[in-house]
Amino acid sequence: MKQKSSVLRLAVTLLLITGVVAAALAGINSLTASRIYKNKQLKSWEAIQKVLPEGAIISEETEITDSSGIAKTLYTSTKGYAVEVVPNGFGGAITMLVGISFEGKVLGIAVVSQTETAGLGAVVAADNQAGETFREQFVGLSGVLAVTKDGGDIDSVTGATISSRAVVEGVNAALACVADLEKVE
Amino acid sequence: MKFKDHFKEGLLTKNPVTVQLLGMCSTLAITTSLFNGLGMGLAVTVILICSNVLISALRKVIPSQIRIAAYIVIIAGFVTIVDLLLQAYLQALSESLGVFIPLIVVNCIILGRAEAFASKNGVLASALDGLCQGFGYTVALVIVCVIRELLGSGTFGGGILNGGEGIRIIPEGFPAMQMVMPVGGFLVLGFVIAGSQWLMRRLERRNKKKEAV
Repeated sequence: MKQKSSVLRLAVTLLLITGVVAAALAGINSLTASRIYKNKQLKSWEAIQKVLPEGAIISEETEITDSSGIAKTLYTSTKGYAVEVVPNGFGGAITMLVGISFEGKVLGIAVVSQTETAGLGAVVAADNQAGETFREQFVGLSGVLAVTKDGGDIDSVTGATISSRAVVEGVNAALACVADLEKVE
Repeated sequence: MKFKDHFKEGLLTKNPVTVQLLGMCSTLAITTSLFNGLGMGLAVTVILICSNVLISALRKVIPSQIRIAAYIVIIAGFVTIVDLLLQAYLQALSESLGVFIPLIVVNCIILGRAEAFASKNGVLASALDGLCQGFGYTVALVIVCVIRELLGSGTFGGGILNGGEGIRIIPEGFPAMQMVMPVGGFLVLGFVIAGSQWLMRRLERRNKKKEAV
């Protein structure tokens, strides 16, 4: 009898502790959820502004699924499209936005979040000279792109071929997505 | 135990990083800029104090058979709270530390202190222990960060000073990129541990000399 009650006591104690912790977490979550959501929205909003020409007004936001699964969201604006693409880099998913004109040319790219190696792969997203030089290569291009190692025209970031390839892959997915769209229309 | 003893233990003689060799994973992974080191150190210190206090307060209520499970639930709760707060109010730090914030749950320093100290001592002493151990962890992280950042990126204070760029000390092109890569983490950590051992021996010898005189 004593054994039984002690097992019960263990279970109840643990249940109480987990219950209290869960309640505390629920409280904190409800306090912060809206702010976290807003932060994320703001971040992708800023990136959209970066890849589209000044004064572009977004009229439509659509979830998309392409065969590669890289393109996620399509923003239609008055001055072009912005496509959110999530290719796989060296250290996980790279979330980025690609601005594409109505003629199907790249207007600009911006990385929203990434977990590439600091100083190497992370350069694709960096706000410095090397990062900007890398990203500016894409402006005005169309079709299917590739890094120089794969016979294309994009110079990859030194020591970060895989990260560079991932960005190229993302841009390609965005270009293909917009090309399909224009065909339909 | 007095505050001074606690402080000395946390900082040097029982430093969680250089002596107890706990929490190595985060120490090696995130120590690439001053911002990361300070942020991670502060996050761990806050969680350590909170979990130490709560575990110490509940030490007579928690049956010993399920203590580890109970500790982990409490620690995970605090870590998640800190994670959510960082995401909401300090987004830059949250992005920079990434998965290593949620991974504090399995950081051995926290569970180690819960098991070794908080479960046997009073609330106030446990809070003090959390503060001193957390401070020791932060100091060790910051030292590794400063060395790696200087040698690897050539800057000081990356992420905070000079608008996030850090103050450039070594001109661009010279720093050895390897130092911010994993290999640099192991190298620098090794030297920092060796340095702290040397310092401890020296202090010990000096104390002995004093006693002899």
